[in-house]
Amino acid sequence: MNQESNMSANSKTDQSASALAQVPIENAKRWPDLNYFNKIIYGASSLAKGMKITFGYLINTKTVVTQQYPENRETLILADRVRANLIMKHNENGYHDCTSCHICEGVCPNASIHVVDRSEPTVSKKELGYFVWRLDSCTFCNLCVMACPFSCLEMTGQFESSTYDQSLLVYNLNQYSGATQNNLAKLADDQARTSAIKAISPYEGPVALEGYHLAGIPKEFLPQKSDAKTSQAREGVNP
Amino acid sequence: MKSLSFYIHNLYQNQQWLDFILYLGLGLILTLSLMSVVALVLVYAERKIAAHFQCRLGPMRVGWHGTLQTVADALKLLLKEDLIPKAADRFLFALAPFLTVMAALLSLSVLPFSLSATLSNMNIGLLFLSAISGYGVLGILIGGWASNNKWSLLGAMRAGAQLISYELSMTLSLLSIVVLSGSLNLNEIIASQAQGWWIWRAHLVGFISFVIYIISSTAETNRTPFDMAEGESELTAGFHTEYSGMRFAFFFLSEYVNLFIVSAIGSILFLGGWMPLHIGEWESFNALMDFVPGPIWFLLKTGALIFLSMWFRWTFPRLRVDQLMRFEWKFLLPLGLINLFLSSIIALGGFYFFP
Repeated sequence: MNQESNMSANSKTDQSASALAQVPIENAKRWPDLNYFNKIIYGASSLAKGMKITFGYLINTKTVVTQQYPENRETLILADRVRANLIMKHNENGYHDCTSCHICEGVCPNASIHVVDRSEPTVSKKELGYFVWRLDSCTFCNLCVMACPFSCLEMTGQFESSTYDQSLLVYNLNQYSGATQNNLAKLADDQARTSAIKAISPYEGPVALEGYHLAGIPKEFLPQKSDAKTSQAREGVNP
Repeated sequence: MKSLSFYIHNLYQNQQWLDFILYLGLGLILTLSLMSVVALVLVYAERKIAAHFQCRLGPMRVGWHGTLQTVADALKLLLKEDLIPKAADRFLFALAPFLTVMAALLSLSVLPFSLSATLSNMNIGLLFLSAISGYGVLGILIGGWASNNKWSLLGAMRAGAQLISYELSMTLSLLSIVVLSGSLNLNEIIASQAQGWWIWRAHLVGFISFVIYIISSTAETNRTPFDMAEGESELTAGFHTEYSGMRFAFFFLSEYVNLFIVSAIGSILFLGGWMPLHIGEWESFNALMDFVPGPIWFLLKTGALIFLSMWFRWTFPRLRVDQLMRFEWKFLLPLGLINLFLSSIIALGGFYFFP
């Protein structure tokens, strides 16, 4: 986009200059050309205008924007642009759209997302095993949400996520290991669907504690001694 | 009612030494407690008013609507570690806050809260006040110098330059009221306003000198639009960058007491001090106003001027140092001189209203 406008800048120079000239001069806010005494009057009146505005703020308590957070937890109003905890969207029956395509894992600039394929898929060729998200290294840049081709990720306004243990900040975002809701819909009945998926909890599976294997560090740099849990996570466990 | 200073005057003849010492001690205690109460109330008021000017709420947690916030802050400052930088001049560093507080204390001792409630009713009260307000910046200069810090020194030098400049137009505006009322005694200046306050009684001259006084007193107390000495955006905290704990609290305290003092002087000279509001021939209205005691009137008027000062602080943009100097020397000072000349003409001819 920028390159295009730069390339065409030379040919459009004359046009943009004439376009600038068409902007009415009255609309441009600038210091009026005044003599000494009129400048004093202008300055004083503009100060008075400012004082009028601030006095309006003072007497009108409706202008207060402060939210007293812990007291008003129930009625807290957050802006739409607030980005806090990442979730994976699940529909009303509890099925998600993730095909385990690993695009979010690729775009994440600080390797906070680690997608593990299901080692034995039941319905489709490739199924999501674990969607591991590390809150402790996430910068809430929203890139994963924008990159997801199936819009199954979302940044929520849920920001109360402090814990006493850093290891509790690494979650599975998916509520089950298995196929997408579209592929599950092809199955005969609910019975078949429930048997095709495996429900998991947020702290189950390759939820990493140290995080070496999630950060994409080559194996030779990893510590030699590793407990069962870490090695299991590195290989990817069978959900 | 017999004035308190008259009491002091007769001390030597009556040999009442014990009474004299008692009087001194009581006065000191009263002034000190007044100072701390004024500072506590003003800091809370400033924080609340500033917050609402900026669409915020201000302190809300400590006490009802944060009323105990300043008490908690003062306790915290009392208990904090008192740091002195290694390269600082220890004696001057410790001396500076006391000089500033002492200036505020001395100024408070001459303010007339009512006809009788004056600690020291000097016949040169106004001269004394303007002398002491010049002395207050000495603490800032010494503190900035003794900190051995470039920010502090720059802030202190700015404070000195600013005070030297704005003291001139402040004194000129005070002088025009002295010329009109014909006295330097604060109680007599107030008594001269029994017919009407000087701000509107002297054909615009009083109003212009009020405006000059308000501007220069804002500069005198180093408050924003004129907070060159602190200069938060460029000098960290200016002259008190290196101060912490109780020494910082002293600077903070004297800043707010100075705000109270300049507003009190403004209310004494221009708004009639403890004199109740009287409107011409309305006898019943005037009698009603007389029921309100003098100290209440004094505090109301002072409070109005303090609010005006806070309003300025949270509305106006800051000046640059060169703009500050140009404003004083090229605009305020000539205006003050012309105003003094006009007020002399009005005083000599007796042209003011209700002569």
